[in-house]
Amino acid sequence: MTVLATASLSEVRHYRTHSPWRRAGRGIGLALASVLFLAYVLAPVAWLVSSSVQSEREIISKPPHWIAHEPTLQNFAAIFAAKDKVVTYETRKARDPASGGFIPSTATNLLPAMLNSFIVASVVVVLNLIVGVPAAYAMAKVRFRGRNASIYTILATRVIPDIALVVPFFLFIRQLGLLDNIWSLIITYLAVTVPFSVFVLVSYFESLPDELDKAARVDGCSRLQTLTRVYLPLALPSLVAVILFAFLASWNEFLLALMFTQTPASQTLPIIVASFTSDFTISFSFINAAGVLAVIPPVILALVFERYIVSGLTAGAIKG
Amino acid sequence: MTRRHSRRSFLKTSAAGLALAGIGAGRALAADEPIYFATWSAAVDTVKSHIAAFEAKTGVKVAYSNSPWAQYRETMITKFVGKAPIDTLWVSDSWLPEWAEAGWILPVDQYKSLTDNSDVDKFCVDSMTYKGKQYGITYYSDYMAFIYNAEMLAKAGIKAPPQSWAEVVDQAKIVKDKGLSQWPVLVSMAQESWLIEFMTAMVYSNGGDFVDDKGNAVMQDPANGAGAALKWLVDAVQTHKILSPSCVETGELAVLKAFSSGDHAFGLIPKYRLRTLNDPSQSKIAGNAKITLMPKGEKGSHATVGWMRFYGMTARAQGDATRAADTVKLMTWFGGKADGEYKFQKMLFKDVGSGFGVKSLFNDPEIRAAYASYGDVDLISQQQSLARKKDVVTPWFGEWNDVNGTTWQQAIMGKVTVEQALNTSAAKWTELKKQS
Amino acid sequence: MTSTAEAAAKPRLRPSLRGALSYDERAAYLFVAPLAAVLMAVAVFPILYSFYISLFQLKLTRPGHTPFVGFDNYVTVLSDPLFWHAVERTVVFSVLSVVAIAVLALLAALLLNQDFPGRRVLSAVLLIPWAIPYVANALMWKWIYDSNYGALNGLLYQLDFINSYMVWLGDSDKTLALIANAFVWKEVPLATILLLVGLKTIPADLNAAAKVDGANALRRFVHITLPSLKSSFALVVVYETMMAIRHFDLFFVLTEGGPGNASNVVAWRIYVETFRNLSFGTGAAMAYVLALATLALAYAIIRALAQRM
Repeated sequence: MTVLATASLSEVRHYRTHSPWRRAGRGIGLALASVLFLAYVLAPVAWLVSSSVQSEREIISKPPHWIAHEPTLQNFAAIFAAKDKVVTYETRKARDPASGGFIPSTATNLLPAMLNSFIVASVVVVLNLIVGVPAAYAMAKVRFRGRNASIYTILATRVIPDIALVVPFFLFIRQLGLLDNIWSLIITYLAVTVPFSVFVLVSYFESLPDELDKAARVDGCSRLQTLTRVYLPLALPSLVAVILFAFLASWNEFLLALMFTQTPASQTLPIIVASFTSDFTISFSFINAAGVLAVIPPVILALVFERYIVSGLTAGAIKG
Repeated sequence: MTRRHSRRSFLKTSAAGLALAGIGAGRALAADEPIYFATWSAAVDTVKSHIAAFEAKTGVKVAYSNSPWAQYRETMITKFVGKAPIDTLWVSDSWLPEWAEAGWILPVDQYKSLTDNSDVDKFCVDSMTYKGKQYGITYYSDYMAFIYNAEMLAKAGIKAPPQSWAEVVDQAKIVKDKGLSQWPVLVSMAQESWLIEFMTAMVYSNGGDFVDDKGNAVMQDPANGAGAALKWLVDAVQTHKILSPSCVETGELAVLKAFSSGDHAFGLIPKYRLRTLNDPSQSKIAGNAKITLMPKGEKGSHATVGWMRFYGMTARAQGDATRAADTVKLMTWFGGKADGEYKFQKMLFKDVGSGFGVKSLFNDPEIRAAYASYGDVDLISQQQSLARKKDVVTPWFGEWNDVNGTTWQQAIMGKVTVEQALNTSAAKWTELKKQS
Repeated sequence: MTSTAEAAAKPRLRPSLRGALSYDERAAYLFVAPLAAVLMAVAVFPILYSFYISLFQLKLTRPGHTPFVGFDNYVTVLSDPLFWHAVERTVVFSVLSVVAIAVLALLAALLLNQDFPGRRVLSAVLLIPWAIPYVANALMWKWIYDSNYGALNGLLYQLDFINSYMVWLGDSDKTLALIANAFVWKEVPLATILLLVGLKTIPADLNAAAKVDGANALRRFVHITLPSLKSSFALVVVYETMMAIRHFDLFFVLTEGGPGNASNVVAWRIYVETFRNLSFGTGAAMAYVLALATLALAYAIIRALAQRM
C-alpha cells in the first residue's frame, strides 16, 4: 500500500483538491472553525484586556462597557513606575489603591517577580529534560525489571492533592534552609512536573518504531547514542510539549510558592498578583492589568516553539 | 553495579549533607536578628513608612513580610506548624481562641504598655480577651453598618430612612414598585470569612444571640431573635422579593461594587466602605451613600456587630527577654501611641479609610473633618458605641461556621426551613462544644 | 524486539562482570537513576510524612493530645455523609470537565493540524488561557459570572437572550457547571497540544493511501485518526482526570464550597478539614483516600486505553 501511495500520491492529491468548490468549502469550513476557536479562547481574555484599561468606576457599569468609554493607562503606569528605596511618611503612597493613580508599592514588585518566575520556570524546564528524557527512553524502549511498576510509581507521586502536602513540604524545605530562596521552588517544581513530563515522553517514545533502535544498535551505537542521535530529533514535538508544560506549570504554581517565599527576593508572579487583593480593597482593573502582563512571556515562548509542534514529524525514517 | 551504587549513594549523602547544612543555617545567631513582623497585604506603604520611623528612632531592625489576605490564615498556620520565625503578626478576632489553644500566640497581660485600655472601645478589648487574658493590642476595628442610597429614596418619595426591619420591607417595596430598583436590599450571604459578620449583625439587631453567656446554643430557641433574623432574610428573598436570590453568591466586596453601581436602595455594608461609596472615581452614587442606625427587629435594638484585628505576640518572641521587649516596643508603636500620638491609626484612616478602636480619635478635628466629608460623624460614633463582639468566637468556631453558613444558605434558597437550619446549626455547636 | 536488539548488539558487549544484569538493564537503570533520585529526595518525604500524620489524631487546638489512632481517621472520614456528598460533587465535576476538555481539545487539535494561513496565530492564541495566573483567572471568571454586574449577564442581556439578569453561581443547579467551564477553559490548551503531538505521529501517507482507496473524511477519521490517537487520548484523560479530582483553586475563589454545599468537592473538604477545622490527621486521611481512588482510576484508564503499559 505504501509503495503504491508514493507513486500516485501527487496525482491523487492534486485531483482531490483541484475542484474549486472543494477548496472554497474547505476554506469556509476552516474560517468558521477558526472564528469559533478564537471566540472561545479570546472572549474572556478580551474582557480582561478591556477592563484593565478602565477605571474602577467604569468597570461596574451595567451593562458592561465592552470598549472603555474613558480608557486609562494608570494601572500599567503604576506597574512600570520606579521603585522607591525607603518608604517614609512623605514618600508613602497615601491613597486608596482602588481609586487609581496611586497604586501601593507592591505594584513595583510585579516585574522583579516576573523575572523570578521566568528564571525558576526556565531552570525547571532544563532540569525536566535532563532528568526526564533518558528515563522516558529507558522506560519506553528497554525491557528491565520494575519497568511497569515504575510508571505507576511515578504517577503515584502526583495523586495526593497539594493541599495535603503543603505542610510536609514546608517542613522539608525549612529543614534544608531554603526558605525564601528560589531554589526551594526549583527543586519542588521539578519533583512536581517531572512525573507527567516522563509520562508524556514515554507515551511518545512508545509510538516511535522499535526498528530504529535495532538499526542504530546494528550500526554500533550505544544506548546513549541511540537516544541522542536517533530518537531525540524524532521526538521534537513531544519535547516541545514537555517544555511548554513544565514552563507553564512552574509559571502558574501558587500554593507552594506562597508558603516558601517571604520577600520580593524570591516571590514569584502569582504571589504578587494575589497580594493585590487585600483586606481592604481589590482594584479589579489593576489585577486584570497585571494579568495581561503576566500572559506575555508565556505567549512569546509559545510563538517561538509552536512551529516545532505544528510542523510535525517526517515518517520517512521507516521507509529509509 | 558499583557505578550505579555509587551514584545513588552520592546523591543520598549530598542530600543528607544539605539537610545538615540547613539545620546549621537555621540556628542563626540571635544577636543580629530582626523582629519578624508578618501581616497581610493591606496598607503596605503605610506600614512600611511607620516601620521606617520605628527603625530610625529605636535602632531595632524589623523584618516585614506580607502575604495575600485571602490566604493569610493558611500561610500563618503552615508557618506556625513549620516553626518559621515570627514575633508579632496581625490576627483576626475570630482566630484568637484557636491560635491561643494551639499555643501560637500568648497573653500579653504582663506588658503594661499593651494593656492600657482606658482609651479603647469595649468590644475591642473583649475581642482580644480569651479566658480572662488579653492577647494583643488593637490594629483596626470596624462594625457592620446599614447604608442607604439617599437619591433613590428621595426619588421614591421616602422622607426618612427606615428605623426597623419591618420598615425596610415597606420602603423596599415602594422603591421596587416605582421601578427604581429590581432588588432594593443588598445583603451578602456568600460563604466567606465575612459571612459571620453579616449574620451576627442581623441576629443582634433582632435582639437575638447565637449562644448565651455560658456558651450554650440558644439560636434554635423560637423566642430568640436569631430565628427572626433568618426568617426576615428568607422572606425577603422568597416572599417579598426585595432581596435577590443571588445573595448566596455575593461576597462583601461584590456588595460594595454592586451598591456603588447605584442599583440598590439599602445595603448591609461594613462602615469603612462609606468612604469608597462616596468617592467619585470609584462609585456612581458618590455623595448619596448615607449611613443610618441599624434597623431594629421587633424585639431588637440598634445594636450591631463589631470586629477587629490585633497585633498578637508569639511564643518565640516571649522566649527571649530582649526580643520580647523589642517586640512590645514595635507593637506599642503601631497599636498604641507613637511619639505621643496615635500616628498609625490616623494614617490608616487617612490612607484607606479604615476604622479605629481608639475612642478619643473621634474628637480629633482632622478625623472629624474627614468623616464629615462623607458621613454623619456623630451617628457613626454612636453606632460604634452600640457594637458588640461576636459571641461565637471559640476554638471550634471555624468548623461550626462552615456548617452554620451552609444551613443559612440552604434556608435562603428554600431547601430547608428556618427551624431546621437553626436546629442543625445548634446541634453542631453543642456537639463541638462537648468534644472540646 | 528487545531480544533481537540484544542479539544484534552482543558482539559489542563488554564482558559482563555484573552478573545478573544485562547491558540493557544497566543502561536502563542508569537512565532512570536521576529521575529516581529527584523523586526520592524531594517528593517521597512529604508523601510519607503526610501518611504518617494521617495515623494520629492531630487537632492543632489541642496540642498536647495527639494519640496514635491507626486507621480510625480513615473510618471517620469514610463514615461522614458530607464526605460522600463531596464525592458525588467531585464525580459530577470531573466527568463534566474531562468530557468537555476531551471534545474541545480534539476539535481544536484537528483544526490546528490543518495547514492554512493564520494557523500560527491561532496556536499562539491557544496558550493564553493557560498562561493567565490563577488569581487573575479566578477573579476574572468571578467577575464574568457575577449576577449583579457580570459580563455574562451583560452579554446575554444585550443579545436579548434574557430579559433580566440571572443568578449564575448562586443557583445551586448551575454552580458546578460554571466552575467546570472555567476549569475547562484553562485546561484545553494543554490537552490540545498533547493531542496535536499525537496527531503528528500519524504518517501523512496513511491518510493519502486511504483517500486513494476511496475513504471519505469521516471514515478516515474513525478508522485512522482515532485509533492512532489512543495513547494520546489516554494521556489527556488520565492527566485531566487527576487534575479535575484534585482541583481546588477555583472552588476557593468562586464559591468556597457553596452555595449550600453545591460545590463542596472532596478537595475543598480536605482544605476545610486541614486549615479551617485545624484537624490535620483527618485531613491527611481524606487526602489519602482521594489519592488511592485517583490512582485506581488512572490505572483503569491506562489499561483501557493505552497500548503498551
